[in-house]
Amino acid sequence: MRREEVYGQLAKVNDPELDQPLTELGFIGDVGIDGNTVTVHFRLPTFWCAANFAFMMAADIRERVSELPWVERVDVQLQDHFFGPEINGGVNCGKTFVEAFPLLATDDLEELRETFRVKAFLARQERLLRSLLAMGWLEDAILGVRVGDLPGLPLSGEGTALVERYLAILKERGLAGDATAPAFVRPDGRPIEPLEFRATLARAQCTRLSVEFNSAFCRGLLKTRYGEGDQAMLGSSDRGHPERAFRRLVE
Amino acid sequence: MFKTDAGEELFIIDGHMHLWDASPANQVNKYGAGFIGCFYDYHRNLSPPEYVWEASLFQKYGPERMVKDVFVDGYVDMGIFQPTYLKDFYKNGFNTTEQNSALKQRHPDRFILNGSWDPRDGEAGLDYLESLVQRYRISGVKLYTAEWKGNSKGWKLTDPWAMRHLEKCQQLGVKNIHVHKGPTIWPLNKDAFEVHDVDEVATSFPELNFIIEHCGLPRLEDFCWIATQERNVYGGLAVVMPFIHSRPRYFAEVLANLMWWVGADKLLFASDYAIWHPRWIVDKFMAFEFPEDIRKEFGVALTLDVKKKILGENAARLYGIDINRQKKELAQDAVASMR
Repeated sequence: MRREEVYGQLAKVNDPELDQPLTELGFIGDVGIDGNTVTVHFRLPTFWCAANFAFMMAADIRERVSELPWVERVDVQLQDHFFGPEINGGVNCGKTFVEAFPLLATDDLEELRETFRVKAFLARQERLLRSLLAMGWLEDAILGVRVGDLPGLPLSGEGTALVERYLAILKERGLAGDATAPAFVRPDGRPIEPLEFRATLARAQCTRLSVEFNSAFCRGLLKTRYGEGDQAMLGSSDRGHPERAFRRLVE
Repeated sequence: MFKTDAGEELFIIDGHMHLWDASPANQVNKYGAGFIGCFYDYHRNLSPPEYVWEASLFQKYGPERMVKDVFVDGYVDMGIFQPTYLKDFYKNGFNTTEQNSALKQRHPDRFILNGSWDPRDGEAGLDYLESLVQRYRISGVKLYTAEWKGNSKGWKLTDPWAMRHLEKCQQLGVKNIHVHKGPTIWPLNKDAFEVHDVDEVATSFPELNFIIEHCGLPRLEDFCWIATQERNVYGGLAVVMPFIHSRPRYFAEVLANLMWWVGADKLLFASDYAIWHPRWIVDKFMAFEFPEDIRKEFGVALTLDVKKKILGENAARLYGIDINRQKKELAQDAVASMR
């Protein structure tokens, strides 16, 4: 029960670059529960994975698991990483990024985090736009879609997962409050003008390709490094989750 | 040389290759072990199974093996040695210009020998660059911005001393600047793979060519944007090419984007040997065509002419190689008799 609760919280932590949950990516290793203390081991595809993203994931793991009312202490253990000890030491003491890396960092990670949320937004939007175009939708009709129309779009299976993911990031950015607002907007909420539609899509495609290319590379490398065993799935409660359908789509 | 079924010959220049020594005897610390371990995972992950080596061979394979793999079995006519020093990780360096020059001497017409410099060496770095030009007549350098040096964990092309070195390159006629954006660690709160510094130096040094290794991946969108703005920015296809085997659809999408944004005249084939063996990459690339929907959407096709450019002509142009004359030279050399 407690284990499932922990996995439920871990499923909310995304790799910021890949925009996918750590549980889906197989980054979560052993999870230990000892009374009110939770120890989470996690591992990344390479020894050199960017330390700033690794720190974000470690900090997010700690924050999410700490939200469970019975948890008193969370111990995060990043394994086999060039800055593993520094990251674990920093996060487990509740330090900020600058506090953990006083000599290497000039600021905290909010700007970087936002940069990658924008990329995630563009990539999610592009996938959905592309599937609508593939179904024969015209640009005008697409730009006419309202936020409130999104859940009812005539998509199925994988398409439904794309809508859910797009809607979730619209909400996260505060762009889903008004059901009559245009659904397809820029990351800051400005509308996409019809004349800019194709150019916007072409640029977003490059962003989506980067994310996917990276994701494919990372999944492959993780498998190469740690084998096929997928510990993250143990006790995972996300069966039937739209992420699964999404994953089939990008694999 | 790759020969098509119709008998047409393609001259092949591998734009990025190494002869490294990453054996435990040469490793300084856990970072040296971690560096080659990471390369080995790249190798195992993306190579067809019959091309996967034992770890010990991968750590150190030696010059004979390299010559056979690349020039005898791998279709490659000429290769560009891209040194990567990493002296904080490996006692004698990972592969230096001086080490590479030994094999270049044995096969002078097969290798293009590139040098390297580090802006953190300051004045001494400028002298070193000059000595490389005098000793080896290099016309290109490979820069690795993620290299550690003492307390420093990386640098940018726009750092004042990097600008001084680029100025010197321009003066000395070292025209081809290969930039490898590894995960740069300074400043740690910024995106480690960012390529925006390329934009600035490409504008400041219009006589230099900037070849961005692995096309800025995983930041393809930034690279494509910069390369459309700057006429002297090129894409090196190391790391991109091997996806042709495991992820042909992604490979097609990425290459179509590169051809559309950057152009087929500005892309250079590279195997990144010994991470990947050029033979299977060339075989698969020659057999490759874009899926119909991609061809339509981007209006690009992988014709024989495009393949010729990517596999050799573009690099030949950058390095001033007359392919017809070079073919004649190579027909007589030691490698030709091994084929």
